[in-house]
Amino acid sequence: MQFKNILVASHDTPGARAAERLALTLCEAGGSLHHLYVVPDLWKGMLGDDWLNNAVTQDRFGKYLEGQLGREIDEARQRLQADVEGRGLRYHFEFRVGKPAHCLLEAAGEGSHDIVVIGAPRPKGTEGLRSRMELEILVRGLALPLVIAPAPAQ
Amino acid sequence: MVYTKKNPAPLILGVVFLLIAVTLQMGLQAGLVEYLGIGKKTAEMINTSYVAGIIGVVAGIWYLVGTHREGHLDYYASTVGGVLFILVIAMVIRWYVAPWVAVMSKAMGPVMGDKHLHDVLGLNYVVLGILAGIVVVNVFKIPLWAENGVRMSRLGLKTGVILLGTLYSLAELANLGRLSVVLIGFFVLGSVGLVLWMGRRRNIPNSMGGVLSAGMGVCGVSATVAASPVVNAKSTEIAYTIGTILLWGVGCMFLFPVVGHLFGMGPVQFGAWAGTGILNSAQVAGAALAFQPNGIETLKVAEIFNITRVLFLPIIVLWLAVWYVRREAGAEKVNIGRVVFEKFPMFVIGFILMFALSSTGVFAPKQHYKGKYFDNNIKAEKMLKSDQVATLQAEIGSLQRNDQRDALQRLIDNKKVMSIDDDDTLRGVVNTKLLSKDANGVLKGAHKAVRHTSKKIAAFRDWITLLFAFGLTGLGMQITLASIKQAGGQPLVIGGVVGTAKAVLSLIVILLFVHETI
Repeated sequence: MQFKNILVASHDTPGARAAERLALTLCEAGGSLHHLYVVPDLWKGMLGDDWLNNAVTQDRFGKYLEGQLGREIDEARQRLQADVEGRGLRYHFEFRVGKPAHCLLEAAGEGSHDIVVIGAPRPKGTEGLRSRMELEILVRGLALPLVIAPAPAQ
Repeated sequence: MVYTKKNPAPLILGVVFLLIAVTLQMGLQAGLVEYLGIGKKTAEMINTSYVAGIIGVVAGIWYLVGTHREGHLDYYASTVGGVLFILVIAMVIRWYVAPWVAVMSKAMGPVMGDKHLHDVLGLNYVVLGILAGIVVVNVFKIPLWAENGVRMSRLGLKTGVILLGTLYSLAELANLGRLSVVLIGFFVLGSVGLVLWMGRRRNIPNSMGGVLSAGMGVCGVSATVAASPVVNAKSTEIAYTIGTILLWGVGCMFLFPVVGHLFGMGPVQFGAWAGTGILNSAQVAGAALAFQPNGIETLKVAEIFNITRVLFLPIIVLWLAVWYVRREAGAEKVNIGRVVFEKFPMFVIGFILMFALSSTGVFAPKQHYKGKYFDNNIKAEKMLKSDQVATLQAEIGSLQRNDQRDALQRLIDNKKVMSIDDDDTLRGVVNTKLLSKDANGVLKGAHKAVRHTSKKIAAFRDWITLLFAFGLTGLGMQITLASIKQAGGQPLVIGGVVGTAKAVLSLIVILLFVHETI
């Protein structure tokens, strides 16, 4: 079974890359893959309770962090875009800042997608940011079929 | 972008403050004041509430009916709502919630020696304020109209530290400064070195080792923020480090006061330990005020350590920059002058300036200590009466020491204490209870007559307390569980080992070598 418009949520973790691979196999020839990259809102609190630094240092840190996240987003986008377009498919990209499930629901509601593909939750003990897709919120609010790619073997 | 939102909340907060002030003044809260035992705070409550209330009403009307255009005025005006938001939470906790917790805790009876539960756990207005801040940001979220103002809590803390400069004597500052340089120097450099060494042993990337060592060694999140760009830390490394530091910092803020009370530490020992052992500088102030909520002696010591830590920050950032350049090909060389200039904490200059001003006698006579000073140029009605002189005359023979007899004789002859030395000597007589109760009462009165408290310094003390309560509640609103949850991976392991080692070793060193008298 293949689909014309697929929405895949990926932020370049091993689980998300498994979702990308599955989405590519599910996308029919000439179809379109919409790549949603979510920057979790936990970064909003990452200045934490720093009170000793002056505005120059905080501003420099903010720009540095933005640059780092921007670079990571660009790398993920360029890698998937090359893969998608190499297969003759159309590639669309967007990134959102917020909670992954809410962002995915918003993106799914705004586009004309046939299916949503996401990666499986990260296995326990695996390193990575603690910002999980809240599946209950997602499945309750999603009006599209949802496919979860199995976590890659460790 | 226009930041000021048309929202009634600031006006409502202003009215709430005015209601507190008016009902207190009219005596409508008399029963509550008596039940909570907050009679001594009513003047502070009324004054603060009137000031905050008037600001809230004026700003609230401006929020609603003013024309808001992009610009500096708009940005600064937009902070008023958030400032009032923090203030109402901090003050309701300081005035009502913390006293209520104390009443409840006292009703349960002592739990450790003669200490009640709230003393042992440090459940006072500071800790409860930080907790309230954490609950607000994580459960209810900061309202949009208050977001800019919440950041002003940093200004509150910095202003509090600057005003703290008025409360030190030169000898105290010099002694605490020396002690803090030795302890902070050893433990900061030791922690940074230990993290870098463990990082190499556990094969973590240089960027992660660099950012983690700054955070664990110097002043927590602030050091992480300062060092991240220098060592090219990746986003996940920053998240792990900040998560680990916040987890440790918040944990230590609650644990340290309990341990401090268990070991019977005094303000100097505890302030030194908190200032050395707690990773995050904001939680140092929190722990100091949690340990001693009704005085600022511990905070004074802890803040000297905090200031020393932050003065070490440019040095550590430079060290890490050089260390990183040596290990990573292509790493950008650091501009030493720019690092030192940018990382130098300007508020420390404000602190030194206030200390200097205070030493010149602008706020109180030069010889004042903590705002108290000796002056025997007193009115006749404050001098000893003839019956009091007779009481002392009858007992002077019972004093064995010549200096005590001489001081007492001078008091009898002049009907007032004649010098600071005499005052100290006679205080010794009172404390050792060498004379009768009546004579001691006379000596206490004579002491009180020549010892004065500077109104300006007393006002500074009140302001410092309010600024820290405000600042720490606001900082609590910036501690998100989402950030703390990022604690993990190698940073948690290394941070756990180094953080524990630093806390335990500094405790041992302080208990062995640091005495209460400074």
